[in-house]
Amino acid sequence: MSDYLLTQIINYGAPLFGLILFLSAVGMPLPASILLIAAGAFSQQGFLDWFSLAVFGWLGAVLGDAVGFGMGFYARNWVSKRFGESPAWKNARDAFEARAGLAVYLTRFLITALAVPTNLIAGGSGIRFRRFLVYDSLGELTWIVLYGGLGYIFGSQWELVSDFISSFGGLILGLVVLGAGVWLLTRRLKAMENAKQNVPEA
Amino acid sequence: MDRSTNQRQRNFVAGLIIIGLLIIVIFGLRTARAFRQFHGHRPPPPFAGDSVETDVDLIRDWMTLPYISTTYRLPPDLLYETLKIPPRGNERKSLKELNDAYYPEEQGLVLELVKATILANQSVPTPFQTPVQQP
Repeated sequence: MSDYLLTQIINYGAPLFGLILFLSAVGMPLPASILLIAAGAFSQQGFLDWFSLAVFGWLGAVLGDAVGFGMGFYARNWVSKRFGESPAWKNARDAFEARAGLAVYLTRFLITALAVPTNLIAGGSGIRFRRFLVYDSLGELTWIVLYGGLGYIFGSQWELVSDFISSFGGLILGLVVLGAGVWLLTRRLKAMENAKQNVPEA
Repeated sequence: MDRSTNQRQRNFVAGLIIIGLLIIVIFGLRTARAFRQFHGHRPPPPFAGDSVETDVDLIRDWMTLPYISTTYRLPPDLLYETLKIPPRGNERKSLKELNDAYYPEEQGLVLELVKATILANQSVPTPFQTPVQQP
């Protein structure tokens, strides 16, 4: 898949690149970060124009994220019916809303595997589209400058950077999953401790 | 909280921790290996876009002939002549597609021919150089 897309980006340039980032942001499993690094290298080699790539890429990614937000927004009634007003769901929603900006920003370039679910959750939560769009646009800009810039700097050696970035992204995802597990465990232990203290002595 | 919910939550937390640790081990090893390869290389000097790429080992079979000719500063016709194929209709095909279309019985031949042509012609003046007027 990556090889086919790389050939087509060489052939059709920035518009196709923007379309791929759009589809990836909507949720299609496409290697967007690898293609972004490669696009940076193609512009360094003088084969494609870096400005068009950056503009089309950024627009495609932001539009795709907006579609993801929209899907979450229109699915919120179903989610609400499914999970009802359970305390766990309310807690999760409140926790997300409190840190939504940071979550949206970081998932654009640091924990990219969680970007699509974050768009859906953001749409289904109470955060306003304008707020989402600000953090999303900044996050996607950071992603394009950072990854595309690495490709530009390393030029024909971009595959080395790409391998490192892909693996590092997976490592960060693992740390986030482990962190969530440890956080939930700590909360559980605290709740058990409190429950023990509240039991009246016989 | 009933007993089954409690058990489900405990399993969920344990699952998160185990999956997190597994992902860390797998991707940690991959990151370390990628870092070792990456660490031995330095980025090309600034403004390297003006210089000519010379390392033919970086050629991949997803590349097209116009892309290779731009990157390695070779006239595209030279590559088409070497492969004995017409430029028309082949500009957007990858080396793999060209191989499948013209040399299906010899896998990797187009890639090897392109590499050999570049190595043989890199020192030859190309149309990208400024022409020198003869007195």
